[in-house]
Amino acid sequence: MELLYLMINPKHTRLVRSAFALSLGVSLLAFVGCTKKSDLDPTNTFYTSSIAKIKGLDPAFADDMYSGYEVTRIYEGLLQYKYLKRPYELEPCLAEAMPTISKDGKTYTFKLKKGVVFQDDKAFKATNGKGREVTAEDFVYSFKRLADPKLNSPMWWLFDGKIEGLNEWHDASAKAGKSDYAANISGLKAVDASTLQIKLKSRSYQFVYALAMPATTVVAKEVVEEYGAEFLNHPVGTGAFKLAEYNPSAKIVYVKSPSFRKEFYPSEGDAEDQAKGLLADAGKQLPLVDKVVMTVHVESQPQWLNFMQGNLDLAPIPKDNFAQAIDPKTKGLTEEMKKKNIQLFIEPSLDITHTSFNMTDPVVGKNKYLRQAISTAINTQEEIDLFYNGRAVSAQGPIPPGLAGYDPATKNPYKEYNLEKAKELLKKAGYPDGKGLAPLEYLSLADTTARQMTEYFQKAMTAIGIQVKVQTFSWPEFQQSLKNKKGQMWSFAWGADYPDAENFLQLFYSKNSSPGPNDANYDNPEFDKLYEKSLTMNDSPARTELYKKMAAIVIEDTPWAFGVHRLTYGLTHPWLKNYKPHEFNHGMAKYYRIDTNLRK
Amino acid sequence: MTTTTTTVTETVSLDKPLPKGRSLWQLSWMRLKKDPYAIACSVIILFYVVVALLSRLDLVGYPWDAKVGESYGRPDTSSFATFLGMDIFGRSVMYKTIYGLRIAMSIGLVTACIAVPLGASMGAIAGYYGGWIDEVFVWFYTTLSSIPDLLLLIAISYALGKGMTAMYVALISTSWIGIARVIRGEFIKHKEREYVVAADALGASDFSKIFKHILPNVSHFLILNFSMQFMSAIKAEVILTFLGVGIQGLPSWGNMIDDAKLELARGVWWQLTGATVAMFVIVLALNILGDSLRDALDPKIK
Repeated sequence: MELLYLMINPKHTRLVRSAFALSLGVSLLAFVGCTKKSDLDPTNTFYTSSIAKIKGLDPAFADDMYSGYEVTRIYEGLLQYKYLKRPYELEPCLAEAMPTISKDGKTYTFKLKKGVVFQDDKAFKATNGKGREVTAEDFVYSFKRLADPKLNSPMWWLFDGKIEGLNEWHDASAKAGKSDYAANISGLKAVDASTLQIKLKSRSYQFVYALAMPATTVVAKEVVEEYGAEFLNHPVGTGAFKLAEYNPSAKIVYVKSPSFRKEFYPSEGDAEDQAKGLLADAGKQLPLVDKVVMTVHVESQPQWLNFMQGNLDLAPIPKDNFAQAIDPKTKGLTEEMKKKNIQLFIEPSLDITHTSFNMTDPVVGKNKYLRQAISTAINTQEEIDLFYNGRAVSAQGPIPPGLAGYDPATKNPYKEYNLEKAKELLKKAGYPDGKGLAPLEYLSLADTTARQMTEYFQKAMTAIGIQVKVQTFSWPEFQQSLKNKKGQMWSFAWGADYPDAENFLQLFYSKNSSPGPNDANYDNPEFDKLYEKSLTMNDSPARTELYKKMAAIVIEDTPWAFGVHRLTYGLTHPWLKNYKPHEFNHGMAKYYRIDTNLRK
Repeated sequence: MTTTTTTVTETVSLDKPLPKGRSLWQLSWMRLKKDPYAIACSVIILFYVVVALLSRLDLVGYPWDAKVGESYGRPDTSSFATFLGMDIFGRSVMYKTIYGLRIAMSIGLVTACIAVPLGASMGAIAGYYGGWIDEVFVWFYTTLSSIPDLLLLIAISYALGKGMTAMYVALISTSWIGIARVIRGEFIKHKEREYVVAADALGASDFSKIFKHILPNVSHFLILNFSMQFMSAIKAEVILTFLGVGIQGLPSWGNMIDDAKLELARGVWWQLTGATVAMFVIVLALNILGDSLRDALDPKIK
């Protein structure tokens, strides 16, 4: 799942609410809303935010972190992560239990929970708009959507080459005028209404993680067909919340779904969770809040100010407000924060930032020395000080610390900031002092911090004689450009989808090229071979060795100039209860509780 | 009988000069000279032009992208470079302001130099010929001006790729309309005047009537508009760059103000101050000079 320069951004807007109250038209609407949903407590609302505009609420297109958060408020899949458990562990969500796996490790059988229904929508004509029960067929349909070449989902890589018969269906659909959703696929079968059977082509140890991702959540065929292209804006899922107000570039409001199944707050947790009061709500029916309000703040400053006003329940710390929040001496909260009873959460994130080189480009893609020269000319330590307030470590390879395959002893020879060496490499590349090299095209985002980072990069390149031409985009436009393999370089980041280094190594697998997650379009048969081999292996020292080998290949080839692994600093207000940072924070707003007395 | 012949020669005394006629320009110049604000503003504008030229020759504020101090170093009067403090990369805000000035002045100058003659000739042709030419022209500019300027500018910057060239094209294509409108109106008025009719009777061609006879008589509008276009181009550049569709990778005042919106949170006020003061002074000077020019060039005000 791709993400961006900063991390989670929650926010809410009391300001917006009071402005609404002034407007007669909207207050009338609110009045109607209240009489209809009298059981909802308007103050029991979780206010969060996003720093990126949301592309839409279709799971098949939830390939970035921000859409992933929003999609999973409404949609649910077979599995989910345990909320409190660390290291991360999966548990059944819509499945009744964890799957039974055949002896050869290829066949997964899921039993579905009974009585799980979709939210009411007019698309369910057979039941007069009442949400019907979820069946195994719905999962087959939803998974086929990811494989549908007409839809061209950016998440197809999850299943590509993994499920028996699905690639054949994908290829046949590409040729046919219309994808045939009725066709049988040997590896994807609804045995009966509540039994789903998935047959893999070969043993895979990461496959179950895919079933806990936003893209593999279940959608209803009736709804997809009813709304067509507009389905992106008409989410109907089984989750704890349903859509109430929708403006993907400004604000999305969700309310508690009355048809949500019986799900309860977890009652297992360790002593630390107990001490932090994270088990106070054990056994209570979820969700605990009545409403979720998500506002988009593309710039970090309004987000921060809204948090400080108490209009947002949680927020990251923008780089320019770091000194206001964190005392440089104690590394803890400043007095100002302490007075407000604000809580600080520090989490090392399983992520990596990087500058991708477009490997299909005839200049940067075909010249290893040029890429190495660029990588060597970047002063990562200075970047960490300037842009992350020291809250990051320099990335030596593709695997972040905390995952098997990460080797603290690895020293990337092209990560030591050394201008002499960079110039030497540039000479080897055939461009002594940058002579003969046309300005390189660098894609970037339009917000202030991204612009500053780009300026920094430009400056670093000028030092060795490389000119950089910058093109700026909004987040959706930026992603579109990558999908079309445009541009020569861009800055990017990747956050883990699941706790396995494979999730980072697959970013270099040739079959995952754009529109898949291999945005650099790296293609190396030697790497591919090792990668394919690793897929068939259980978590073992041998596999870890293989991971290290793959990392070494990527380090030498430099399809990315590696950036940093970040530490996430998050703040919450004291009234937000049950908050525990989670690397795979999907659908977890249902666990949060608001102490409405404290908010006042 | 004596015959005397007297030669009647009227000698015109040369030592007593006739009252000299003064042209519109001379009168205007006299009026302008008496206006202390206009003179002060002209000096300021001249100063900006000189700084921009010196910057173009790398004689002042160079190199702007060198590190002269620590990141976000405070203003410090010990040297010219650190006078306005440092930005995130430790670069001199003073040098960046000067480079921004150079960009602003070149945007202003190029836009005004092209938009004013372009608008004037379009307006002249439409106003002089009238008929279908005028109709086509009026349709064209009303359509163009019905699109909000800022949106059009953003669309052009996206289509052409962002940068200086796109800025020039975007600003020129929106700013010629105002002057074209005025000149068209003037031409409609002037083409019926006696001096034009006389020129016509003497067999002057259309070209000579438009450019030799009428245009000089309405040229005070051009000067006035030049100063106004100059100013609005500078403002537009700053706004567009602030919005992220303008100048890329170079220190424009717009970029500096954009940086400042984050930096203010950590108490860094110097980039904002540098850029806004520099912009305020030039925009004010051009505004006042524009007003003074209007007063000076209008023969009805004496």
